[in-house]
Amino acid sequence: MIRRSHTALVERNIEWSGAFATEPYEAGWASEALFFVRTLRPATLSPNASAVVQVSPDGMVWCDEGTVVSLQGDLGQTFCRVREFGGWLRLAGHLPPGETLAVTVYLVLKE
Amino acid sequence: MTAPRFGSGPFPAGADAALSRFSPLSRILFFDDFDRGLNGWTALIGNYEGTLDSMLPEYRDLRPPMLSNLSMWDTGTVGALDGTYAMKLATRPTASSLAVAVKRLTWRHAGPIQMEVFFTYKPEAVALELLDTGVRAFGFALDIQVGDRATGPVERVMPHLRYLNALDGRPVERWQFKRSIEPLRDIGGSGKTRSHFHLAATGWEDVPGGAQRLCYNEIATKHNWYYVQIGFDLESMSFTRFRCNDRVFDSSAIAPMRFPAMPNLWCMLNPLMWVEADADSRAFLYVDSVVVSAELDA
Repeated sequence: MIRRSHTALVERNIEWSGAFATEPYEAGWASEALFFVRTLRPATLSPNASAVVQVSPDGMVWCDEGTVVSLQGDLGQTFCRVREFGGWLRLAGHLPPGETLAVTVYLVLKE
Repeated sequence: MTAPRFGSGPFPAGADAALSRFSPLSRILFFDDFDRGLNGWTALIGNYEGTLDSMLPEYRDLRPPMLSNLSMWDTGTVGALDGTYAMKLATRPTASSLAVAVKRLTWRHAGPIQMEVFFTYKPEAVALELLDTGVRAFGFALDIQVGDRATGPVERVMPHLRYLNALDGRPVERWQFKRSIEPLRDIGGSGKTRSHFHLAATGWEDVPGGAQRLCYNEIATKHNWYYVQIGFDLESMSFTRFRCNDRVFDSSAIAPMRFPAMPNLWCMLNPLMWVEADADSRAFLYVDSVVVSAELDA
């Protein structure tokens, strides 16, 4: 059997500000994942702006997985890799007051 | 009197046990078991031109399907009716949020088709309460257009059925259909792109005799699977069958949306499914398997 893969747009053209988290996405069938965060409009962000990968056993209570993806104010995208994540995945973070970021977030999964 | 659909003999050795629970027409167009992946069921997006911001607002955040093993906080993994995985639609935790899955194909014979689905629905288990009004509705639809040489009405036809479970926190528990047309709106500036939000809350009518109490089973983490069967004739563009579990409804009393054909959708056949939240918590629709079958001319 060829390895299955799937790309989910967990956010499309959404504006992040303050505390943010992507909607929970189930990926128990996959063994590897990439999160891509695409900046849609130029923004001014604090240095080291980032989001963290979170995992969960039930889609409701979350732990930091340890992987961090940087956020960029320039047009373009960043990504991070994650493995051995169990069932659920999401990205979470916080932007300081006055900062916003328009993004599309892709979750690319593979068996 | 039609022939009985259940035989008296033993289940034939070598027959397909997974298909046996379906009652398909003579030819199977597809049989999607979500243990094999999403099988072409994908997110629904509205039409746009130039920028995503040109999309009708209602279409901007329809949530996409995923594969779920139905893992619960209190009991662990439920699994699917057959195997481990089901297709899951999950709304945002916002009342009126929608999650939609669509599969896009085309038809080859203007005759009877049928969609059968094994599914279950639940709200997210956000509190140790019944939560039975957390899901507003779930539904099944087809999006059809006649062929480019159609001799009858040159139409796009959209049969829609939904189970309105609750509205504004009050139980309703009733099947509804929709034949009223939402306004077609121009998208962008080229004059070539139009869009209408057919899943809008307006225009739904009760299926006659369509009150049906399903097996909610008391808490948000217990899942019982249900069966729905929708028959539609692509020649007469009318419903031929509507059944959920033990209830067969009068298909002559329900009707699809019908409106003039659009310029580039000839022979379209798109099945859709969706779920809508009634509370500010996530609503889930899980689909174990789907069979779409047809009577073909050859």
